[in-house]
Amino acid sequence: MPANVYLDYQSSKPVDPRVVEAMLPWFTDRFGNPNSLHQDGDEATEALERSRERVARFIGAEKDEIVFTGGATESNNLALLGYIARNRRKGDHVVIAEVEHISVHNLAKALEKQGIKVTRVPVDQFGRVSPAKLRARIKDETLLVSVGWASSEIGTVQPIRETADMLRGSGIALHVDAVAAEGLVSIDMREVGVDLLTLSSNDIYGPKGLGALYVRKGVHVAPVIIGGGQENGLRSGTENMPAIVGMAEAADIMVRELSEDVARMRPLRDRLVREVLAAIPDSHLNGHPTERLSNNAHFRFEAVEGESLLLSLKDKGVSVSTGSACSSKTLEPSHTLLSCGLLHEEAHGSLEFTFGRWSKPSDVDRVLEVLPGIVARLRALSPLYDMDNKLKGEH
Amino acid sequence: MKSTQYSEKTLDHFRHPRNVGTMEGPDVAVGKVGNPVCGDLMYMYIRVKDDRIADIKFQTFGCGSAVATSSMTTELVKGMTLDEAMKVTRGNVADALDGLPLIKMHCSNLAADALHEAIKAWREGRGGEVPEAPAPGAVKESCELPPTTVEGFDALVGKGVYRQEPDPAELKDRRVLVLDRGERSVKLALALTEYTGRVVFMSPYKKPEAKDDFRAPLKRSDVKVLYESQLLAVIGEFEVEKVRVHDLNENEEYELTVDAVVVLE
Repeated sequence: MPANVYLDYQSSKPVDPRVVEAMLPWFTDRFGNPNSLHQDGDEATEALERSRERVARFIGAEKDEIVFTGGATESNNLALLGYIARNRRKGDHVVIAEVEHISVHNLAKALEKQGIKVTRVPVDQFGRVSPAKLRARIKDETLLVSVGWASSEIGTVQPIRETADMLRGSGIALHVDAVAAEGLVSIDMREVGVDLLTLSSNDIYGPKGLGALYVRKGVHVAPVIIGGGQENGLRSGTENMPAIVGMAEAADIMVRELSEDVARMRPLRDRLVREVLAAIPDSHLNGHPTERLSNNAHFRFEAVEGESLLLSLKDKGVSVSTGSACSSKTLEPSHTLLSCGLLHEEAHGSLEFTFGRWSKPSDVDRVLEVLPGIVARLRALSPLYDMDNKLKGEH
Repeated sequence: MKSTQYSEKTLDHFRHPRNVGTMEGPDVAVGKVGNPVCGDLMYMYIRVKDDRIADIKFQTFGCGSAVATSSMTTELVKGMTLDEAMKVTRGNVADALDGLPLIKMHCSNLAADALHEAIKAWREGRGGEVPEAPAPGAVKESCELPPTTVEGFDALVGKGVYRQEPDPAELKDRRVLVLDRGERSVKLALALTEYTGRVVFMSPYKKPEAKDDFRAPLKRSDVKVLYESQLLAVIGEFEVEKVRVHDLNENEEYELTVDAVVVLE
């Protein structure tokens, strides 16, 4: 488990040791291929279907509604490309939220190249998509709406139930990428009318390289990975049994421990937010003040740059993320922050803290001990922070 | 290679930057490069004596390599003649730091340029001058376009575009852009901060210095102020979604997400 002060659980999570234990036999003693007809194959088939049942139970779904994939990105591919390919005759228009994860944004661009029209719904200053704004953008040709359950970046939780209710009976499919929200909010497909739901194994402390797509009964998608016809023809390739068993174990643990996890993380997060905003002048919380994931604190500090903050925290043994352009591959700042209405130079000064199952009060102590000094040092270097300690109008 | 995979030397200059600060006086010249929009802004101050750089200081807003290259540049050129210093390139600075990640070679390696700007300023007899000492009202009248020429403006009146003072309650929690139309617009912007956390005030003028300028109270408020900026377009299919802004100082255009635009008549 993290030895340093690790507050970047949104980027990567350790696998729960109980999950590792459950996975181990499936590497060595129980290595059968579920497609084989002998004893070893039967054993694997049984474990595969048991695992499917356990993952289904985690989100209140039926066993046959779960398709295992190679990860959340692949699930998003299957949901968007697969649904459009299968249902194209019904329309040619897709609606996504402006704050979607990069994988959904890039899929939307790929769909545009196939001749699909894409509308991107703007969000409010907290990053929320209003169902009314979404409804205004729906046309007769609309096939699919895709909205993430929560933002992996600023932690804002979307009104998914209201969105699903608004779409009920319209014949338009609703895809929800639940990766940021799973394990933090209760997700129950019996209560919310979602048609396609993306899950990741690592985000509930399972192994990487595995995900799942929930496909509601009666909703049809075409496969994007073609081969031997595994997963009911929707995802070919020999099943990754150790990872599948691991995700199922992680899902079981999450069913039991979600509220306990949240009750442990929320006070840590709340204290970090309260004390950072109090200790550091000209600091702000990005995202929604209340409708946010219980493990997420996303700040911006005026007149300092995020990569410099991140490097300085790294020197103090603290791991975090930033939405600054300077730490991205494209040198573009976070599209989520710009969609919330921030200026480029404001987006550059952002810092994201995400808590997880092994976060402890001493992690917050350490951040509070070092962060005010780091911000002050970088501001002393910065021409944007003027003598009377107020950044205004330098543009 | 990751964009933050820095050499030990770069990290050392980031952690312990040399020659941070400002200088003034008739023997000091200043060079400025970069733009906070891009995430980098630096000022290089040189004190010239007998055609040599007798002293040098910098201020930088930017990422790790922006800070480190500024610091290294000051170390490299202190004591050099102006001719020698003009020959120092970005490449020299990167080499002196044992290299920079490829992606940072251009955008975050502007310190040599800032130095050259400072030397040019000195040679043009602009010693003792601080760049962009703002003179309120110095921007030409032509900067302020009448709102009717703003693209998309008329179509969105009533859908987030206001020509009269809006009912502030209507703008609760909305992102509001208020255009500088004199003292009334300043008062409106200040009043709106009671209703929403996001008020942006945009003015074609330079940042006011004079204490009696009616725009000065904005500095102390929660209003985000954009000086030397001009509204080009209001964008939205059903309602105001974004505006397109021209940064007159940098001659750059960018988009900003807002819900409402107020241009008092």
